[in-house]
Amino acid sequence: MTIATADHPVSRRPIDGWRWAGRIFLTLLLIFTVMPMIWMLITSLKTGFAAMQYPPQWWPTEPTLGNYTRLLDPTNSVGQEFLRYFWNSLWVSTLTTILAIVVAVPAAYAFSRFRFPGRTVLFFAVLLRNMFPAVIFLVPLFILMRWLGLVNTHGSLVLTYLTFGLPLAIWLLKGFYDNIPIQLEQAARIDGATRLQAFLFIVMPLSTPGIIATAIYSFIGAWNEYIYAYTFLTRHDQMTLPVGIQRFFSENATDWPGLMAATFMMSVPVVVLFLVLQKYFVRALTEGAVKH
Amino acid sequence: MAEIVLQHVMKNYGSLYAVNDVSLTVNDGEFVALVGPSGCGKTTTLNLIAGLLPMSGGDIVIGDRLVNDLDPKDRDIAMVFQNYALYPNKSVYKNLAFPLQMRKLPAEQIDRKVKEAARLLDITHLLERKPRELSGGQQQRVALGRALVRDPAVFLMDEPLSNLDAKLRVQMRSEIKRFHHNLNATIVYVTHDQLEAVTMADKMAVMNGGLLLQYDTPANVFANPVNTFVASFVGSPAMSLIPLDAVTHGTEASLRSPEGWDLPLSPLNARKIASSSTSKIILGARHSTLKLHKSEVPGSVPGKVYTVEPTGDITFAQIFINGAVVNISVEPSVLLTPDEQVFIEFDQDRMHLFDAETTMALQAA
Ligand SMILES: Nc1ncnc2c1ncn2[C@@H]1O[C@H](COP(=O)(O)OP(=O)(O)OP(=O)(O)O)[C@@H](O)[C@H]1O
Ligand SMILES: [Mg+2]
Repeated sequence: MTIATADHPVSRRPIDGWRWAGRIFLTLLLIFTVMPMIWMLITSLKTGFAAMQYPPQWWPTEPTLGNYTRLLDPTNSVGQEFLRYFWNSLWVSTLTTILAIVVAVPAAYAFSRFRFPGRTVLFFAVLLRNMFPAVIFLVPLFILMRWLGLVNTHGSLVLTYLTFGLPLAIWLLKGFYDNIPIQLEQAARIDGATRLQAFLFIVMPLSTPGIIATAIYSFIGAWNEYIYAYTFLTRHDQMTLPVGIQRFFSENATDWPGLMAATFMMSVPVVVLFLVLQKYFVRALTEGAVKH
Repeated sequence: MAEIVLQHVMKNYGSLYAVNDVSLTVNDGEFVALVGPSGCGKTTTLNLIAGLLPMSGGDIVIGDRLVNDLDPKDRDIAMVFQNYALYPNKSVYKNLAFPLQMRKLPAEQIDRKVKEAARLLDITHLLERKPRELSGGQQQRVALGRALVRDPAVFLMDEPLSNLDAKLRVQMRSEIKRFHHNLNATIVYVTHDQLEAVTMADKMAVMNGGLLLQYDTPANVFANPVNTFVASFVGSPAMSLIPLDAVTHGTEASLRSPEGWDLPLSPLNARKIASSSTSKIILGARHSTLKLHKSEVPGSVPGKVYTVEPTGDITFAQIFINGAVVNISVEPSVLLTPDEQVFIEFDQDRMHLFDAETTMALQAA
């Protein structure tokens, strides 16, 4: 501590310059990322006519929630479709997330705790998948899905998203289990727990932040995915949101406010998820970094 | 309470034998210290007794049950870990209650036992805290408490005091000793601090490189170390070891130094030399058995003062004899200066002779 205080006056000045440069840079970056979202929100409150005006209205003269009520109203065709896409997306993403966690938790635990033949090879094989861009697997996976008879089913998407999401999930969670001292489980086993009980009562609660972070990753990955959903599904009633939203482009010219309202609604679950579980997420990222 | 029997216990990781053919018996109610340098297999041995690792060979009996294939939970043991291993997300109360809950005791009985253990260890005021809100000494007590809430047959402790500062360590040392006395518990206690072992244990098992070198009372290990490793490991300052050549003529024998002096040996020591096959000998002597003289007396050998360390009530000095450093202790009134020529007298009854090739202690035939 004493050394740090002694150093302070010397190192303060140059750091300040950098700090301001950093702040300006971050502000620009923030504007760059937030502006489109704000514009999306503003546009979604306009009427179709107001959205097309030039010069643009910075704030709609007659703001309306009509676009939202139309999307959420199951009695008209637009609302019906939107809600169906929304539901499809929710179903596919949730299923992917649950399966990813159910598989990744024991897999990551095994990679972290047990020494078995082929452990290293297997672990790298798991990661190998993530070294290639997703598009490369589009055609092979499509052929595979056709062969499995899964084209035009949500199963094809869940399966595909798992092939992307699982390696990352296993890898993330393994880091967590590596950081939980093995002595805790040993203590639990001596205290009368079976291996499974030691895992459930001691290890699981400690790895909850990691599991939640991993779940959020999986969910967002599946929720936003476009190319595979676009390729594997052709039937309207099965489409997920990222693909389904496209339909706003084609119908009687582009309905910008409707599109923006739909996009906004699409980001709601992710934002809500993040806000609710944020504290676990941050804890997860920082805890993984510090060894205890 | 129960006895523990290890028979030819082995544990290897590939070609590395972490525990190599260890056999020993811990009697009911005995306090046994497992000592040895870092990496010698102490923790591994303890984990094998606990059943946390599968054995590569051998048998372990606890009480009158062969426990080779029993889960840790079925061995009726309690363990205190090197780093305490308290459950970080549970309060102290829940840490103590966990072993009882796992054994499905009724709630009011759990409550009673937890409070009793807490009172015994003086941690009642900490019950609602989380482990990270405790000091090292408090964590240590909680770890001890978690072990003793359920009266197991055997206590296993892995360097429970190694994370504490010197003062607290001395205090906890006597508390554990009293705890052993009160409960008459069977305890296997791992430490790499030989002083802890000597002061606390009924018996000590000295290990090195996975092998059990000697298993005896601290007094016997101190008095009759089986080889040079045990000799220099037990006792502080360490026993001095001087490599010399043995010369025999008839039934008499002496140790000869290339520096040109001869140390005649007593008849018993001469018989030890006679029974050995080699003439390369290591002479061992503890500081307290050596006498320092300023001028030559019969049976003394010349040396040169290297360093002098006064500690107040006793002065330690290191003397160069035949190229080896020899520790001695003298009265503080004796004044020594570095490079001074002195003469060291050996106590023939309390000196140790080792075979320089096998490092084993020589026995009289
Ligand atoms: N899982 C393992 N894989 C390979 N080697 C191991 C493993 N666990 C322990 N060892 C080796 O076994 C030997 C004994 O280890 P052990 O932990 O029993 O030492 P220790 O006597 O407890 O040491 P310390 O005083 O440092 O705690 C060491 O050489 C160690 O490197
Ligand atoms: Mg150890």
